[in-house]
Amino acid sequence: MLSIDNLRAWGANVSEGLARCMNNEAFYFRMIKLALADETTYVRLRAALESKDLDTAFECAHALKGVLGNLSLTPLLEPVAEMTELLRARTDADYAPLMAKIDEKLAELKALAAE
Amino acid sequence: MYQNFGRFHSADGKRQVLVVEDEQINREILGMMLENDFHLLYAENGREGLELIRANANTLSVVLLDLNMPVMTGYELLEVLKADPELQRIPVVVLTGEESAEVTALRMGASDFITKPFSMPEVVMARITRAIELSEDSYVIATTEQDEMTDLYRREFFYHYCEQFELHNPGRPMDAMILNIDHFHMINELRGRDFGDEVIRLIGRHLKRMAAEDGAIAGRLEGDCFLLLYPHTDRPEDVLEELNRTLLALDDRGRVRMRMGVYPADDAGVDVPSRFDRAKTAADTVRGSYTRSCAVYDDRLHQRELLNESLIDQMDEALRERQFVVYYQPKYAVQGGEPRLNSAEALIRWQHPTMGLVSPGVFIPLFEENGLIRKLDRFVWEEAAAQIRRWRNELGYTLPVSVNVSRVDMYDPDLAETFRSIVEKNGLTPDTLIPEVTESAYTEDSEQIIRSVEELRALGFRIEMDDFGSGYSSLNMLSVLPIDALKLDMSFIRNMCRGEKSIRMLELMMDIARYLDVPVIAEGVEEESQVQALKAMGCDVIQGYYFSRPVPADQFEAFIKEELSKC
Repeated sequence: MLSIDNLRAWGANVSEGLARCMNNEAFYFRMIKLALADETTYVRLRAALESKDLDTAFECAHALKGVLGNLSLTPLLEPVAEMTELLRARTDADYAPLMAKIDEKLAELKALAAE
Repeated sequence: MYQNFGRFHSADGKRQVLVVEDEQINREILGMMLENDFHLLYAENGREGLELIRANANTLSVVLLDLNMPVMTGYELLEVLKADPELQRIPVVVLTGEESAEVTALRMGASDFITKPFSMPEVVMARITRAIELSEDSYVIATTEQDEMTDLYRREFFYHYCEQFELHNPGRPMDAMILNIDHFHMINELRGRDFGDEVIRLIGRHLKRMAAEDGAIAGRLEGDCFLLLYPHTDRPEDVLEELNRTLLALDDRGRVRMRMGVYPADDAGVDVPSRFDRAKTAADTVRGSYTRSCAVYDDRLHQRELLNESLIDQMDEALRERQFVVYYQPKYAVQGGEPRLNSAEALIRWQHPTMGLVSPGVFIPLFEENGLIRKLDRFVWEEAAAQIRRWRNELGYTLPVSVNVSRVDMYDPDLAETFRSIVEKNGLTPDTLIPEVTESAYTEDSEQIIRSVEELRALGFRIEMDDFGSGYSSLNMLSVLPIDALKLDMSFIRNMCRGEKSIRMLELMMDIARYLDVPVIAEGVEEESQVQALKAMGCDVIQGYYFSRPVPADQFEAFIKEELSKC
C-alpha cells in the first residue's frame, strides 16, 4: 500500500510530487500506480539497449525521466536521468549496471505499492 | 486578470487550453493543475493536436506542447502552426526539460516554455496566463493599430507615432501631407468596388515603401484619405507625381489620380493633428480642380481659417442677439395667364455688427461641416412658421413657406416631431411649412433619411427636393423615395442660354417630374426669356430675381397685398 510515509522513507521527494498534484494524495498515488502498471517503456528500453539501438533507448529513457520527475520518485529517477544523459550523447557504454539499478529501484517501488 | 475579449473565452469566462503530450501521467498532472481555471482539451501526439487546433482555432487561448512525441513531434507541429496565418496567433508554450530545446522552440515561434519536471502549479499557471495575456494584447494592438486593407497605421496610432518620431528626432523638419483620390466615389461607382479597393491597396503598398525608403510615416485616415509625415521638401508635388505614376499601373490613361495638401514643417509648435487638419484645408482648395492637384497651406488659408473660427465662435451670440435675419423670396405659379404668388422660400442672412452682411455662401458650408447648421436651421424653421402666422393674422392670407433642411437634420430621428411641434405651436397646418431637402441627401440611401421623409409626409408635410440635378440621385432612389416637388438646380437655369443640350437636359428633368407626377420649381431665374422658355417646357413654379430678390418680411408684405388684390 502506497503511503506518504513509506514513499518518503524510500527516498521520494513526496512534498514536491504532491504539490505538483495540487496536494491531492489519492491522485498522486493513482499516478504512481499508473506509472507502475504499464511497463512497456521499460521493456522497450531494455530491448533497445541490448540491440544497441541508442536512439530508441534515449527516447524511452527520456520519456521515463519526464514522468518520474513529475512524480518526484527520486530513487528511480536518478539512474534513469543518468542513463538519459549518457544516451543523449549516444555514449557507447555498458548500460547493464545502470539498467540493473533501474530494475532494482523499480522492484522496490512495486513492493511498496503491493505491501 | 485578462481584458475581456469575447472571442477568446467561453460563457463562464474560462479560456480554452490544449495539452499536447504523449505521456498520460504528464497530461493528467497538468490537467490537475489547470482544470479549475481552464477548459482543457487533450491530444496524445502532434497530429491529433493539429486536428484539435484547427477545429478550435477561434476559441483556443494557448497550446501546451510536448516536443518529443510519436507520429508528429512538437517541433513539427510548431512549424505548421507558425506558418499558418489562421493559426499563428495562438500562443504555444513548450513543455521541455532541456535548455537547448527551449531556445530552438522559442526561435521557432513558441511564446514560452514550462520545464520538466513541471514547476510548482503556481509557476505553471503564471506562465500560461502570461502567454495568453501577451498574445491577446498584441492581437488587439495589431488589429486596431493597422488598417486592414492597407496595413497602414490608423488615425490615432498614426498621430501617436508621428509625435513619438518627432520627440526622438527634434532636429528633423517634417511636412504633414494629406492625400485623396480624385472622384473616388465615381471610380467606385463606374468601375466597381473591387477596382476601388485595388486602388486603395496599391496606394497603401506604395506609401509603405515610400515610408521605409524616405524615412516617412504613413497612415490611412478613412476611405480614400491617406496621411504622410514626410521629411521636409520644397517640391511636395514630386511625392504626388511619383504616386500618380504608380497608379498608372491600374489605369494607363491616368484617370485615377490623387490630390494633395501640405502643411510644411515650421517651428510654430502646432500639434500633429492640427497640422494635418491644415494640410486638409489646403487639399480642399484643389478639390475638383482640373489644373491643380497640390496645394500648400499658406498665410491666405490661415487667414481664412481664422475667419472661419471666429464665425463659428460667434454663432451662438449672433443667434442670441438676433444678428441672423430671415429673408423671403417669392415663388410664382406661371402656368396660368398671369403669374400668381404661390409660396416663398425662407433664406437666412447674417447681419454681422462689424463685418456687415456675411454671405450665406461663407457661413452655411462652415456650419454644415461642424453640425452647427442644425441650430441655425431650427431658428429659420421657427422664424418662418411665426411669420406665416403673423401674415395670416395681420393680412388674412396664409402663404406657404419652404425652409431648408440640411443633410444632418435628416439624420435626426426627431425631425418630424420637431416640424410637427413648430406648426402646432403657431396654429398652422403642416402643408404651410415646406421642408426642402437637398438632392445629395437622398443619394446616401440611408434608412434614417428615408424614415425622416416618410414620417414628415405621414404628418402631412410636403417635401421639395432641392438642387435637383446637381447630385447623383439614382433613378431608383427617386422612385422609392416619395417627394412632392422637384426644385431644379440653379446651374441648369444659368446654362439655358448655352444652347440645345442644356435645353434638352431641362426637358429631360421635366419629363422625370411628370413621370413622378410632381410639380417642377425653377430657381435662379432672372430673365423674361428664361421664364417664357421654362413655362413652355411645363415648369410650374418660378423663383428668382426676375420676380424679386430675397427681401425682409416687412418688405415681402407688398407681394401678399398685391396677390390679395388679384383675388
